[in-house]
Amino acid sequence: MRALGYFFSEAADSLWRSRGAALLSVLTIGAGLFVLGFFLMVNANIQRIIGRWSDSAELAVYLKDDIAPAQVAMIGDLLQKSGVAAGVQYLSKDDAKREFARDFPDLAAAAAGLDRNPFPASFAVRLNAQAQSAPAAVDNLSATIGGIAGVADVRYDRTWLSRLNATVRAIRGAGLAIVLLMAIASAMTVANVVRLAAMSRRNEIEIMQLVGAPFAYIRGPFIAEGLIQGGMGALFAIVLLLAAFAAIRARFGTALAEAVGLMGVAFVPAQLVLLLVAGGMALGCLGGFAVARRVR
Amino acid sequence: MYTRGVYALRELSLRIDKGEFVFLTGPSGAGKSTLLRLLLRQEIPTDGRIVVGGRDLSQLSLRQVQAYRRTLGFVFQDFKLLQNKTVLENVAFVSRVLGHAAQQQQRRTFQVLKWVGLQHRMNAYPQELSGGEQQRVAIGRALVNEPTIILADEPTGNLDPDLSLEIMNLFREINARGTTVLVATHDRELIRRVGRRTLSLNHGTVVEAT
Repeated sequence: MRALGYFFSEAADSLWRSRGAALLSVLTIGAGLFVLGFFLMVNANIQRIIGRWSDSAELAVYLKDDIAPAQVAMIGDLLQKSGVAAGVQYLSKDDAKREFARDFPDLAAAAAGLDRNPFPASFAVRLNAQAQSAPAAVDNLSATIGGIAGVADVRYDRTWLSRLNATVRAIRGAGLAIVLLMAIASAMTVANVVRLAAMSRRNEIEIMQLVGAPFAYIRGPFIAEGLIQGGMGALFAIVLLLAAFAAIRARFGTALAEAVGLMGVAFVPAQLVLLLVAGGMALGCLGGFAVARRVR
Repeated sequence: MYTRGVYALRELSLRIDKGEFVFLTGPSGAGKSTLLRLLLRQEIPTDGRIVVGGRDLSQLSLRQVQAYRRTLGFVFQDFKLLQNKTVLENVAFVSRVLGHAAQQQQRRTFQVLKWVGLQHRMNAYPQELSGGEQQRVAIGRALVNEPTIILADEPTGNLDPDLSLEIMNLFREINARGTTVLVATHDRELIRRVGRRTLSLNHGTVVEAT
């Protein structure tokens, strides 16, 4: 406890003495963590959207007009017993036309004026949780049904959801690379600030070495200095994130909510905020330690 | 021995008993400071042994060096005071970095400041003190950890003769309490006035012992 008190009071003194450099270091860490946090916030929201779209993913089986009623019943039975359906709904050609008229009232008159009903009968299959976790089963079912005579087409949202997931993974990869670079830059900035502090404190260090002070006492203040800078940088990043979040919500919140059907954009989860603070402190620690380990 | 075959100390054999007060003298470059650095275990001899209190200093691990240094007090010509700390903080610094309890730090610091006669200046910064006062702070700092040996390298080098004698009197008092004192100085007149055992070094070896 006494040692910790010493580390932090010395670190605070030292930071205050070189406050210009320390501020620069805090801002660099803050910028790095802001990028990380912003990336996490965007990622969390994309995950929410994908999750929601995945929940509403459907398998649509379009039937030919000349399909026999027995085959319709057989396909319906196959879908029910597939194990991946949470619900199966049959839409006749008339149902489809009515649905079109309801969804697109402006075009309803045009559709009504046609000689024959162009809308195909179909099965809409709402997929269950098992289908979300094992898309291969849905792929198999889709292929089986597609091969049945009388089936015109099988549309499965999974295909584009997979593509979306792949895109998100690529964005995440690029984001992580940026975050990694920012983390290295932050740790190096802290190390440089702490190194300056070490130079300005070389007389103290010399005396500590001469009186036989334990290594912990010689090195501790440098690590504490890094820790404080990292923590302050993280707090700065969180304040920036809150500001960015408020600005985005004010400017695009309604549009985003309408576009993706969510109750507005969400801030990074609380555990990620804690992770940012811990990450900032860890980065600072790392920078401080890089200098401290050379002092013996 | 340094690189290129230059010897700082050579064929040196000496013994200092516990509780002694010894002067180390000689011209610049005689090896006085090197001997003190060896005793502080800042350097290791390339040949031979330095034994303090039964311990061969060359054989000590880093942690043992730290423990050994806690038994020493040192005083330098340039005082080596921390300019951003007050007299009180300078003296308490040693106690603080050795992890002593706050109460012990305080008690010992006040005792030492009183002893070196600087309790009235404890809130002053080094740059506000005279040379003699600064050296007294340095002596206080050396004493705060109750060392068994005091090493002083030209402690009066920056002081006038009267102040020098005043500082030497402090060392005499420290020695009278049982602490071994080794003072390196080239001031022969001061040695004569204090009158203690003297080892004269020249070219890295003892040329005279009185």
